[in-house]
Amino acid sequence: MNSTSKTKRIIYAFLLSLLLLLWFFPFVWMVFTSLKIENEVVTKVFHFFPQNPTLANYIKAFSSSKILRWMLNSAFTSAMAMILTLVVDAPIAYAFAKIRFKGRNILFWAVMAGMMVPFQVLIIPLYLQFNSYGLINTMSAVYLPRIALPIGIFIMKQFFEGIPDALEEAAFIDGASRFRIFSSVILPLGKTAFATVTILSFINCWNDFLWPLIVMNDTDKYTITVGIANFQGTHGTQYSLIMSGAVIACIPQFIFYLFFRKKIIAGIAMTGIKG
Amino acid sequence: MIPGNKDNRDGWLFSIPFLLVFVLFMLYPLVYGFVISFFKWNVLSDKVFAGFQNYISLFSDEKFYTSLWHTVEFVLITTPVLLVIGFLMALITTSKSPLKKVAENVFFIPYIFSMTVVSTLWAWIFQKQYGLLNKVIGLVGIQPVGWLTDPNWAMWSVCIATFWWTAGFNMILMSAGIKQISSEIYESAMIDGANYRQSVFRITIPLLKPTIVLCLILQIIASFNVFGQVYVMTGGGPFGKTRTIIQYIYETGFSYFKMGYSAAMSYILFFIIMIVSVVQYISLGRKSNE
Repeated sequence: MNSTSKTKRIIYAFLLSLLLLLWFFPFVWMVFTSLKIENEVVTKVFHFFPQNPTLANYIKAFSSSKILRWMLNSAFTSAMAMILTLVVDAPIAYAFAKIRFKGRNILFWAVMAGMMVPFQVLIIPLYLQFNSYGLINTMSAVYLPRIALPIGIFIMKQFFEGIPDALEEAAFIDGASRFRIFSSVILPLGKTAFATVTILSFINCWNDFLWPLIVMNDTDKYTITVGIANFQGTHGTQYSLIMSGAVIACIPQFIFYLFFRKKIIAGIAMTGIKG
Repeated sequence: MIPGNKDNRDGWLFSIPFLLVFVLFMLYPLVYGFVISFFKWNVLSDKVFAGFQNYISLFSDEKFYTSLWHTVEFVLITTPVLLVIGFLMALITTSKSPLKKVAENVFFIPYIFSMTVVSTLWAWIFQKQYGLLNKVIGLVGIQPVGWLTDPNWAMWSVCIATFWWTAGFNMILMSAGIKQISSEIYESAMIDGANYRQSVFRITIPLLKPTIVLCLILQIIASFNVFGQVYVMTGGGPFGKTRTIIQYIYETGFSYFKMGYSAAMSYILFFIIMIVSVVQYISLGRKSNE
């Protein structure tokens, strides 16, 4: 009995380490490659560790591409998406949760049905639409179609429903209007839900690829996702250079993750449990 | 609820900002796209009404079928594998292992990186002459494989990169589900002498069913929309063997400027995704009623 459970434990530990290794190793490989000189990468000899570690690739990545610019573009568009998502989605989420108005149910289901529409289906009409507004190749084209986030409404609605009615009723009796209640009672309480939604919206916009690829034509205006794809395309076989670009592109998201780990995970879990 | 209240007015007022955006960037393009799909339109030239011509042409367009098939292939490969890996990872991160926190981070971090970073990294690992994978299998004497250039391997390679990238998402959903299962159930099963395997198959999986079904739905929809990783890693090659339907929609629209044709294709894809989702929702509803 004891010996079998011991072997089982060893097998379990082995599988766990294998899976961990498989998942961790590509990162290591990305960083190591970026620290190697070109000749060491394109060779039949296999060195795992960089023999002459160098930051030359990083310097070259910054000087030969607009990688910093691309990151700023991504930061700007994602931040705009994040802010506008809240401005637009929070009031309706509150209305769904707390205001009994005519047509509420129909409206709610219409919005949730919107969740079913894959964004990719809309790219042609959206492009033509933005083209006719003269917004192609502008930053606003990247984030505007991203701010209607039905899942965000859903999360905030769940949250607002949890706020006791008594709080609002007290304010009503004092003669406060809906807007007053929303801005001074509800909004301060909603911080956790807002954090979750803004983070989801930020990731959503930051990682978008197809849409910015379509609407942005100047290399100056690329987001980092499009920029890195372009960087890979133009540097063909300079793998250590490409990997240094990839590492640079990872850094903001990694920092973001370190700060908001719990919120990101909670946000995803929430869409799962309540969905 | 309050006499003389203005709920009807306020409800709609609070909805206005969202509704504007919703109508402008979702409903309108949805309808507009549908209208365009009945026109022959090359952007530079005038729109010409073509009736069902675009849809009819689609059904005799071999590239359309093969692209659609590649997407379906991707869905069929990635969905079951990603559910199983996600579940295994969730078992690890909800276990008592001292490594569970580390594991959760390691498994999840790829998901927060953007698809293009992940794709360039894996394109490098899969590189034929100097890539890591061929060097590793070379150590045991296996000939280098063109992971991304061999038609037999390209789709699988893209799928592998995708496993690495998104399995962590399913892990989070499933471990959240597992954490909701009361520990008392496991304790009483242990007292009754159930071993680990039995408790996974008899308790965890049955009780996790709603979460698993949700993962399945989300995964299928996400996989149907595959584009970026294939586009960056293989460009749809070799010989169009990995071209997905989204890529074909993109190329038709933005390389050949056939807007109507491209829109028609989008609608077929939309239709397929709708049917798949509806079938899933119905079967999900039936199961929860049982």
